[in-house]
Amino acid sequence: MKLATHYNRANIIITISVLLIGGIIYYFAINYIANKQIDRELREETEETNDFIAQHHKLPGEYELEDQQTFFNKISKDSLAESYFDTVYKDDGKKCHHGRAEASLVSFNGNNYKATIVISRVNTEDFIQLITLITLALTIGLLVTLFITNRFILNGLWRPFHTTLRDIKAFNVADAKNIEQNKGKVDEFNELNEAVQVMSARVKNDFQHLKQFTENASHEMMTPLAVITSKLDMLIQDETLKSDQLEQLTDIYTATGKLSRLNQSLLLLVKIENNLIKDEEALDLDQMIAEKIRHFHEIIDAKNIHLEKQLNPKKITASRYLTDILLNNLLNNAIRHNIGHGSLAVILTGNLLIFQNSGPSTPLDTTMIFERFRKGQGSEGTGLGLAIVKNICSMYGWKLTYDYNMRMHTFQVEF
Amino acid sequence: MKILIIEDEQGLRENITTYLSGDGNICESCSTLAAAIDKLANYDYDCVLLDIGLPDGEGFAALDYLKNRMKSESVLIISARNSLDDKLKGLNIGADDYLTKPFHLAELKARLVAIYRRKNAGSNNKLIFNEITIDLPGRNVEVNGEPITLTRKEYDMLLYFMANKGRVISKNAIAEHLWGDEMDMHDNFDFIYTHIKNLRKKLLDASCNDYLRSVYGIGYKFMAQ
Repeated sequence: MKLATHYNRANIIITISVLLIGGIIYYFAINYIANKQIDRELREETEETNDFIAQHHKLPGEYELEDQQTFFNKISKDSLAESYFDTVYKDDGKKCHHGRAEASLVSFNGNNYKATIVISRVNTEDFIQLITLITLALTIGLLVTLFITNRFILNGLWRPFHTTLRDIKAFNVADAKNIEQNKGKVDEFNELNEAVQVMSARVKNDFQHLKQFTENASHEMMTPLAVITSKLDMLIQDETLKSDQLEQLTDIYTATGKLSRLNQSLLLLVKIENNLIKDEEALDLDQMIAEKIRHFHEIIDAKNIHLEKQLNPKKITASRYLTDILLNNLLNNAIRHNIGHGSLAVILTGNLLIFQNSGPSTPLDTTMIFERFRKGQGSEGTGLGLAIVKNICSMYGWKLTYDYNMRMHTFQVEF
Repeated sequence: MKILIIEDEQGLRENITTYLSGDGNICESCSTLAAAIDKLANYDYDCVLLDIGLPDGEGFAALDYLKNRMKSESVLIISARNSLDDKLKGLNIGADDYLTKPFHLAELKARLVAIYRRKNAGSNNKLIFNEITIDLPGRNVEVNGEPITLTRKEYDMLLYFMANKGRVISKNAIAEHLWGDEMDMHDNFDFIYTHIKNLRKKLLDASCNDYLRSVYGIGYKFMAQ
């Protein structure tokens, strides 16, 4: 749940409870005050009655005013405590209202009467109703105002936070784009934004250094490798070397070759990640694939692999260099991990390029195959081939998938 | 052919010099840009081997120097940087080829011979070795005047051997020359053997002398008997 929703919910619950409790207290207070007011009126009436009796020496007739009724009942008791109580007031139309009454003892000509004065509470109730209505209206008004405030003003206040959050989400260490400075009115968010900016700059810097290091290290290794290779090339010219010594030298050659390929692959990965290869052009993919297959056909033949190709014309826009490497690595894989007398299908149709080859009878681990230095058992490769393919594909937004079915391994690139 | 080798790495420079010397070649070498420009100013060469990363500057300066003086040396750049930009830059300012370190000396020699021949042969660009005649532009091979048909790879291999006459060439170098260094050979050189067997058979069938010798355990050697 969003922070604003949490806040809103708490806000509304508290507001409603406070208003509700306040409303109840308010109601009782007003009621109490109103009763006091009526009681005061009643006492005045009683006193007026007593005055009337004292002056005129007779009971006032039972009379009715607009909202006041007086009754006298003869009683035998000598004393009667003055009392106030809620009662029912019947008006002319015999309609019943809430009323308030006072009962008191009136003595006249030696007789005791119970005087009861009833006052209608209609007016007071109307008054309380009005106040309730106003209170209710205020409550609703307050809630609506709070809701709107939270919704618009709070959303506005949170905007810098959301902008920063979006920037963080879109953050990519390999990107050249930095997180923008985003000054708002809220200090906390400004601080957050600054912290994120500093952090991203530092991360980027570290990443750049790391890449620089990889690149430099790889470059620096090339010259010693060149020295080793040239020394080997000279060494094998020696006619006195025995064949088992020469076999050892072949192994050194192979290891050196592998080291240099590894280096070149690492450099290539850095370049792809840095987006340094930008020589995009329109390419006839089908022709490039046909050429690649021609290039490797001796090796395919040597393994007695049955090749099936179906190449429909397809144009793509990409770097020739990278496309060449992509095809190279995929084809290389399909040949290297193939079995003797196996099969290999290269299909280019519509937006799909499919390399399907026979191979080991267990599927590859799809979560791992595109990771660096992941390679199959007994593979003599660098372990970077598929990582490079993956990087090239993601750079151009192509979708690379692997599938295993019926002993056939399928790599598919969707352009 | 007279060759100037500009390379700061001593071990590499010495080996290149030794490998390229002989076969009618004269090699000189230097290790700095200043020495290179000094030599280029005073002498004429057929080919220049140029390392880009020199201690006192980038090798491109030597290339610029040659271009400004209208000198006709063929230039082969050897660089530790396998960078497309460097390659294009070098080729744009007048280099004839670009080779990335590490490389096999046989590959270097083959490239050097190829650029030299391309520059110095007229329209009649033929490579003749005893009874073998190769018409380079047409990629045709004749033995004793009779044409023989070679596959593309066999033809490339024959040229490679002829450029490295009298030298033992490792199977690794042959494989890399034919399939590029991106192709992983996974210790299996059987198909190279098959290829060489086919090439040798085609040459022998055309009653050519057997110049190809297998050096057990390491590779092959093409030699004039």
